[in-house]
Amino acid sequence: MKLFVSGRQAWVSIGVTLAGTLLFALLPLLLSPYGVRVGQLFVLAAGLAVAWTVLGGFSGYWSFGNAAFVGTGAFTAALLQLALPGWPAGSAFMVALVAAMLLNGLLALAIAWPILRLRGIYFAIAMLGVSQVCFELVSNIDSLRGALGVNLMDIVPRGVRPERFYYWALLLATLVIVLVAIAVRHSKLGYGLLAIREDEDTARMLGVPTTRYKMIAFVISAMLTAMMGVIYAHNLGYITANSVYRGDFNLNVIVYSLLGGMGTIIGPIIGAGIMTYVTQVLLGDLLDTHMFITGLLIAVLVLAAPNGLYGIYDNYRLRMRRRKQETQR
Amino acid sequence: MTAQSILSVQGVSRSFRGLKAVNEVSFEVPRGSICSLIGPNGAGKSTFFNLVTGYFAPDTGTITFEGRDITGFSPVQVAHLGVARAFQIAKPFPGMSVTENVRIGALFGRTGPRDVAAVTAQAMELAGLAELHDREARELTVGQLRRLEVARALAARPSLLLADEPCAGLNPTETAEMVTILRRIRDAGATIVLVEHDMPAVMEVSDTVLVLEAGCLIAQGKPEEIARDPRVIAAYLGTDE
Repeated sequence: MKLFVSGRQAWVSIGVTLAGTLLFALLPLLLSPYGVRVGQLFVLAAGLAVAWTVLGGFSGYWSFGNAAFVGTGAFTAALLQLALPGWPAGSAFMVALVAAMLLNGLLALAIAWPILRLRGIYFAIAMLGVSQVCFELVSNIDSLRGALGVNLMDIVPRGVRPERFYYWALLLATLVIVLVAIAVRHSKLGYGLLAIREDEDTARMLGVPTTRYKMIAFVISAMLTAMMGVIYAHNLGYITANSVYRGDFNLNVIVYSLLGGMGTIIGPIIGAGIMTYVTQVLLGDLLDTHMFITGLLIAVLVLAAPNGLYGIYDNYRLRMRRRKQETQR
Repeated sequence: MTAQSILSVQGVSRSFRGLKAVNEVSFEVPRGSICSLIGPNGAGKSTFFNLVTGYFAPDTGTITFEGRDITGFSPVQVAHLGVARAFQIAKPFPGMSVTENVRIGALFGRTGPRDVAAVTAQAMELAGLAELHDREARELTVGQLRRLEVARALAARPSLLLADEPCAGLNPTETAEMVTILRRIRDAGATIVLVEHDMPAVMEVSDTVLVLEAGCLIAQGKPEEIARDPRVIAAYLGTDE
């Protein structure tokens, strides 16, 4: 069995990813602690956005509720660690991480059955509902401690600056997410998901097992998002339902793809980079107006480049090729 | 069902809100032939395709494909058994290249995972698309889209291809190309059921012709017999009565 359908493209993408990650891994050595914190925000945003893309970008099923998996992942890890007192931090973290990923995979599987039958905007709205329900449950059931908050174990090794450690931890998680996304994209599963996005009925007619593929992508996306959620929770150190079931996570992951290029893997990474830079660095001092300017910027970009920045490049590439073909004739 | 027929339809009916779209239709399609289904608009040709591919289940009757009763099978099950369909309104995936479109046909058809690349290339060659392999589907002309539709269906390695008006809207040159392509597909071993309005193309390419009118099968035979059949002429041109 061949690993990838489009092997050459897959290996090129993997090479670029590894090289890029290596570059980003060296950044904290050059940046101020503040710069490293901005870097954390970027890497977190990129990881969450690529995890979202595995379902939303590839198959066109936009989830407006991925915060459900960030929050549920974070709380699974936090509550499990409370139940494992006296464990060494490293192994408690690993157990909690694996448990959070499995639980969120099961959660996705359970809600996939009713929800993934809904197409387009109905699925998006249903996911928004799911994230709200999860938030309310964790907030209002006392034993889940969403309102009170939970402390997480300190997992930073001695001698490493915490901001650097979490930057690298988030970067490593994002690397895993991007590699999984590349593997999905260039496998049979990925081609099936793209066919679903383009035309679900035609895909079904060609023999794509649409229901099963959507479920698999949803479960993968949920597990990867939960992995990010666990590390993010440790980075915060103390979490409440409000700090992890964040409504802006729901929206931002989509905005990043819209800006960078929907359905691609590089798109959400570019989008996350631009948005983090604009909101944290360029407009960081304009506390009163930065949300307004950010909103305006998104509106302009979406109007001017509906397929994102990658879309602009793609159109340019197509035009150049057509011109070359015409001159050859 | 005789040994040589690949598709056998026995007493199949399907109504929509009391209107009989297909009414007690029975016929056999010989393996390795091109069998055309003709008839005026609304005669039930498209409904018939939807019944065979599992989009609708027939109210009564049985559909047998390669000796297996497939009545009531889902579209995915039917596709996996080796029935492919090329739509009248070509439905390629617009944002994908020609190669990617055809590759999806191969990936989810009956091709082994190792042969996907070879089958994809072969189907594009057969449909005359090899030169256009890296074009995006949204850049193609109507004639090219129609050939892409056929190539994608073909990449699934079907033993039965249902082609829904592959020549509609094509100019004479493109129609002649399509006829050649259909012949090549048959010569490569597949059976084709063709729904087509372009009568010169039907007469040229068909081994047998079936005529539907108002959901009923009114005639079947070789193309030259059908062209002389008074009931068929009446169905198409009307009568003096």
